[in-house]
Amino acid sequence: MLATLENTSLAIWVGESLWAYPSLLACHIVGLAIVVGLLTVQDLKLLGFFQGLDYQVFSNLTPIVIAAFCLNALSGFLLFSSQASYLATSVPFLAKLTCIAVGLICAISMRASGQRSIAGAPEPCTSDRLTLFFACISLFAWTGAIIAGRLIAYIF
Amino acid sequence: MWSSLANFADGSPVNLWIQDTYWLWPVMEITHFLGLSLLFGGLLVVDLRMAGHIKGVTPSSTYKLLPLVLVGFTLNLITGVLFFFGDPARYSINIGFQLKMVLITIAGLNALFYHWRVSPSIVTWDETNEPPKLAKFVAYVSLTCWFGVLLSGRLIPYVGTG
Repeated sequence: MLATLENTSLAIWVGESLWAYPSLLACHIVGLAIVVGLLTVQDLKLLGFFQGLDYQVFSNLTPIVIAAFCLNALSGFLLFSSQASYLATSVPFLAKLTCIAVGLICAISMRASGQRSIAGAPEPCTSDRLTLFFACISLFAWTGAIIAGRLIAYIF
Repeated sequence: MWSSLANFADGSPVNLWIQDTYWLWPVMEITHFLGLSLLFGGLLVVDLRMAGHIKGVTPSSTYKLLPLVLVGFTLNLITGVLFFFGDPARYSINIGFQLKMVLITIAGLNALFYHWRVSPSIVTWDETNEPPKLAKFVAYVSLTCWFGVLLSGRLIPYVGTG
């Protein structure tokens, strides 16, 4: 299946075109900055930083985070397609995917619980324990995704 | 300017240390990526609010994020200088690197201009005010510059020499 993916004309184009791979990397870092950046700020807010900044900011920015995540899922899939069988056994790559899955679960869980515990509450307000837990795990997950993602280039 | 800096860096103790420490380069890259995430996370909120895209919060409340932006910037300034010292011959003549430095300079001047001309009035807007044209302009210049920095930096390995 991975070999089939690698041999599609799209995957071959990604691998062989002079500008396809750099362009996809450019898209991927824009998405990374938006997704990890905004989710990190949100996690820190839920952990009690930035008192005085209304949590509503993050509900306003959710569409941007979702759009950036989709950009990275797409650009990531295309980058993957050009070396699918190699990456499928790469430990950092698999670790990165695991981190992203954990980060996503946290983000979805926090949308409900973070909103309930912190939105509209007068300052200083605190998150409930479950939200604190998800915010903590989320920080580790996205940091881990960046570390693992960089290490794909260094560890086989 | 870059070639004299490169001459200064080449063969310096820092240069040799980075080249001789095999694990340092990936650690610097990881730190640079984490730093850019902190910088962009804070900056997006501040600039998008200033441009009028986030309703219901005061612009000044988003300034709580500025220390985070500065932490990200400082991490990346340090790792960035180390990248240059680690491989001065490559960076000094790279068009992506040179463009990135120009964009960071413009972003810095834009921030200074903001500090002088816009920030004194910003505390008077409330949550619903449409931001002044000048504030919007500064916000878009900032976003444009920083996304330009992101792209030109990422493309350093792929673009030619200046």
